[in-house]
Amino acid sequence: MKRQSWISLGLGGALLLSGCGVEGKKQFVVAFSQANNAEPYRAAQNVFLAKLLAQQPDVKLVISDAQQDNSKQVAQVETFIRQKPDLLIVAPNERAALTAVMGQAMEAKIPVICLERDILQPNYTTYVHSDNVAIGRLAGQFIVDHLTKKYGTPQGNIVAIRGLLGVEGEINRDRGAKEVFDKYPEIKIVADPVADWIQAKAKDRMTEVLRAQPKIDVVYGHNDPMAIGAYLAAKELGREKEMIFVGVDGLGGQAGGIRKVMDGILAATFVYPLCVDKAVEVGNRILHEPAFKPEKDYLLESVMVTPENAAQMYQQFTLPGMH
Amino acid sequence: MQSARGGAGLLRRAQSLAALLGILILAIVISPTASDGSRIFLQAGNLTDILRQVSLIGIISLSMTFVILTGGIDLSVGSILALATALVAMFLTRGYTTHIAVAILAAVAAAALAGALNGAVVAFTGIQPFIVTLASMIGVRGLAKWLTNNQNIDIGFGKDLASEFAAIFREKAIVIGAYALVAAMFWVVLARTVFGRHVRAVGDNEKAAEYAGLPIRATKIWVYTLSGLFTGFAGVLYAAENHQGNPNAGVAYELDAIAAVVIGGTRLSGGKGSISGTIIGTLIIGVLTNMLRLNNVDSNVEMMIKAVIIVLAVAVQRERNGT
Amino acid sequence: MSAYLQTVGITKYYGGVCALKGANFDLRAGEVHALVGENGAGKSTLARILAGSTRADGGTISLRGEPVEIATPLDGQRLGIGIIYQELDLFPNLTVGENIVIGNLHFAEGRTVNFRRMEEFCRPFLDQVGLACGIRQTVATLSIGQMQLLAIARALSMDARIILMDEPTSSLFEDAAERLFGLIASLKHRGVSIVYVSHKMDEIFRVCDRATVLRDGETVGTVELAGAGVNDLIRMMVGRELQFAARAARRPAGETILAAENLTTSKIKNVSFELRRGEVLGIAGLVGSGRSELGAALFGIDRIESGTLRMQGGSIAPRSPRDAMTSGIGLLPEDRRLQGLMMRMSVLENATLAVLTEISGLGFIHRGQEFSVVAPVARRLELNCPSTSAPVSQLSGGNQQKVLLARWLLLNPSVLFLDDPTRGIDIGAKHDIYRLIDQLASDGKAIILVSSELPELLRCCDRILVLNEGRVTAHYDAGDATQEKIMSAATNAEVRT
Repeated sequence: MKRQSWISLGLGGALLLSGCGVEGKKQFVVAFSQANNAEPYRAAQNVFLAKLLAQQPDVKLVISDAQQDNSKQVAQVETFIRQKPDLLIVAPNERAALTAVMGQAMEAKIPVICLERDILQPNYTTYVHSDNVAIGRLAGQFIVDHLTKKYGTPQGNIVAIRGLLGVEGEINRDRGAKEVFDKYPEIKIVADPVADWIQAKAKDRMTEVLRAQPKIDVVYGHNDPMAIGAYLAAKELGREKEMIFVGVDGLGGQAGGIRKVMDGILAATFVYPLCVDKAVEVGNRILHEPAFKPEKDYLLESVMVTPENAAQMYQQFTLPGMH
Repeated sequence: MQSARGGAGLLRRAQSLAALLGILILAIVISPTASDGSRIFLQAGNLTDILRQVSLIGIISLSMTFVILTGGIDLSVGSILALATALVAMFLTRGYTTHIAVAILAAVAAAALAGALNGAVVAFTGIQPFIVTLASMIGVRGLAKWLTNNQNIDIGFGKDLASEFAAIFREKAIVIGAYALVAAMFWVVLARTVFGRHVRAVGDNEKAAEYAGLPIRATKIWVYTLSGLFTGFAGVLYAAENHQGNPNAGVAYELDAIAAVVIGGTRLSGGKGSISGTIIGTLIIGVLTNMLRLNNVDSNVEMMIKAVIIVLAVAVQRERNGT
Repeated sequence: MSAYLQTVGITKYYGGVCALKGANFDLRAGEVHALVGENGAGKSTLARILAGSTRADGGTISLRGEPVEIATPLDGQRLGIGIIYQELDLFPNLTVGENIVIGNLHFAEGRTVNFRRMEEFCRPFLDQVGLACGIRQTVATLSIGQMQLLAIARALSMDARIILMDEPTSSLFEDAAERLFGLIASLKHRGVSIVYVSHKMDEIFRVCDRATVLRDGETVGTVELAGAGVNDLIRMMVGRELQFAARAARRPAGETILAAENLTTSKIKNVSFELRRGEVLGIAGLVGSGRSELGAALFGIDRIESGTLRMQGGSIAPRSPRDAMTSGIGLLPEDRRLQGLMMRMSVLENATLAVLTEISGLGFIHRGQEFSVVAPVARRLELNCPSTSAPVSQLSGGNQQKVLLARWLLLNPSVLFLDDPTRGIDIGAKHDIYRLIDQLASDGKAIILVSSELPELLRCCDRILVLNEGRVTAHYDAGDATQEKIMSAATNAEVRT
């Protein structure tokens, strides 16, 4: 029995050290339930959010990481609800899974900002996002133009690398592009493996596709890491010159998509706004202005990045602290 | 022989119970307080949250206990869960049936079949359960992905059959009640039935069980079938909770289930263990996780602490048991 | 002569159980010293402490007058103390050579395995104990008797100056035991001291110089064996005298219940015999002669390749233990730990394991019935345990064997094959088992008794079959059999009647 008390003491000590401090004056608590810290896009969101809120001493930010597990995220949001934060921001892992629990947060009178991905029902105070369909169309058009220039007519083989299927971003980046492709019967999507937004998985999936497909003209990765992963796969098999790689996200920093465009790995990428700056702007108003009624929906715009404007975009979108 | 310990098992259970109480007390002590002064941890809503959050893995851990008691292991539970979520969602949303019960039955039956297959291969070929269930982990996952075309099947919030199903089976009371019922069932079977004896005997000493004329093959087939069956049931509950059939659900759930079983005092070598131990192990993990989250411990630190607890729990119990 | 090794006041507790509470013992150089006592007296515990596999809780050990710490088996090895366990501690999946060489401070391991060097090192010790097998043979394929010889060879290879032997001849037949005694004599001549833990009085008086008697964890006394008698020792061990009861007159045997004709499996050849109700048939033979294998054939473990087996006139061919049990044949296996008991389950659970369907309804066990069905059997066997819910691992060897017997008594087969049932069991329990065999025979059961102890066979059996290399070489009525006749039939392939 003695050992049990040592364990408990040890745990208690560890927790005190990990800083569950007791607040003195009135602090606003902002809870952010992030879907998956492992994705660079999301890591960048976290960094940006922390940076913006660090400028406000009366706001305490808590971030949880669901590691792409729906049940985990639901449980984490439930726990947040118990803690009654002043503002809850949720980046839902998958649409269906998070809908109900965000409704519970609303019922508990907690303001909820739904970040970047949507859910099945409007269980939020406001939804900050970008238009993935529009980005899909931009990407599709870029690809069509490239193929037309390559062959003289719009034809060619495309490999689409897809993210988590239950996510709005995936559904719409796919749909937008297909809207464009469908107009040209000679343009075919010959493979569309799923890589869950992750670079390593994309590399594996692309390797399999390369073995099956003799001729590929374009790889359309629905996010930059996946496009980069596909590039690495092609490079290993010596086929990277045969095709171009297009991604979405356009993050700044060394590891981001803009850099890759500058380095010639990606032919183009599309800046997908982090949405965090808008969320913070709206969030602050919710916290500090009791009478403020936010819009249900805030739509942010995207920009295409190609070798022509890459260097300038890099300057614009690279924040200190990004890697 | 001098002293009579009323069963080494009772002593071990007392230890796990003491560990659980220790963690409970710690959780209460370091629990943040709500605006009305009450400890958030002790709020009825939070406590029932914990129970709901552990119910699914809890159910899987119960049937896993039986498998481990025979000296085996079932690594395929995560994949079987995914299959079950996919099947129940398919049946409900594609009009294969007009009765919720039929959809549930289909999912559970398919899961039980997968389990039976595991059991048959283990029983008749003598291949190690680790390898057999590793193979079915991969195969069943593939089956789930193939059946759904690797797409999620969303369940809406409307008035259709699927939404009705979700509304009923995601109710906290139903989920917790299901766990309690299954736990009671397994407890009774292990402690009071011939089958329960056989399970322990086969795991304790299979050679001696053969010499005693026990139905070794039948016992093994049954434990794996039950593992599949109850995991299927957990999958049905998952589909309701997350409003989706998800062929990618349940990844690493087998490890969580095994952790609960092991913390509860059941040895992986077989023959030694109890249902009450598994329940305590499940609750220890649930309370611990909740305690860490309420105190905003980083999710990754949370994982490390869990790992330490698992090793500590096993180490403490080994030393106590001496020869 | 001053003591070479001495222990004073050794105490040892296992959890709450006191195994030793003041063991004093001294050993002279070049003597063979017996440690005797009933099971539970603490002999094995003391031996383990001396060898370093467990640590004493109190008391001192001194070697050549200097106090020493023996905390681990390696300490024991370094101090020149070797031990051969009753329940052998060999690695069954490794080879003979590897078992000798692993952890052996006397074998300088290079970076790679050198079979020639291993052979050179191991062969002399294998020859000394009379084990004729290759160093590359897997230990699991050896019989228990051969494994015991291997354990002794290993101790010898570690150049021990003190060798502790815990029931060394428990599965050795006469010829191998003879070889062991010769070994002991030559070791003694070399100045090696032997601590001989055993129940076998005739061996102790034959081989040992002195004996220390332990009772309930304490030293009762040490005697010079030259001037003492068996009853003296037994009196000290037990506190009373025990007679070797003469075999009670038995009812005339009834009808033939089991008949084997030219029974052949992969291990036995053309074995024929008849067994009648109320009869006890003994099976004698050297290690590896097919005694246990005969049981395996009758019990459905080995496949019968040719020949017939008839039970009450009807032909049977059991393909599994369950088949055999349905036909009315039971088997008490040779190794109660590996093949018999579920060590983590309780006495009650082990006893009722084979009859659960009879004490249950709709799959649910009737606890009350379970208890009431076991109690009379436990009483009949004089089973000694703290409670029936205690795990069998806590019981002594003799009581563990009784639990297994209880299982068979409850199942009540017509034919019971007992494979070396008194191996490693104290005198008191042995006599209990002999009495039980008598009773079972009187009740009309047919018993086949395999044993490595000739006096035991002569005491219990009506007839004795002798096996040699899987064949029956002799068949005696108990009245006609002598130890010499049986011995020669066991070593000679000629068939005699």
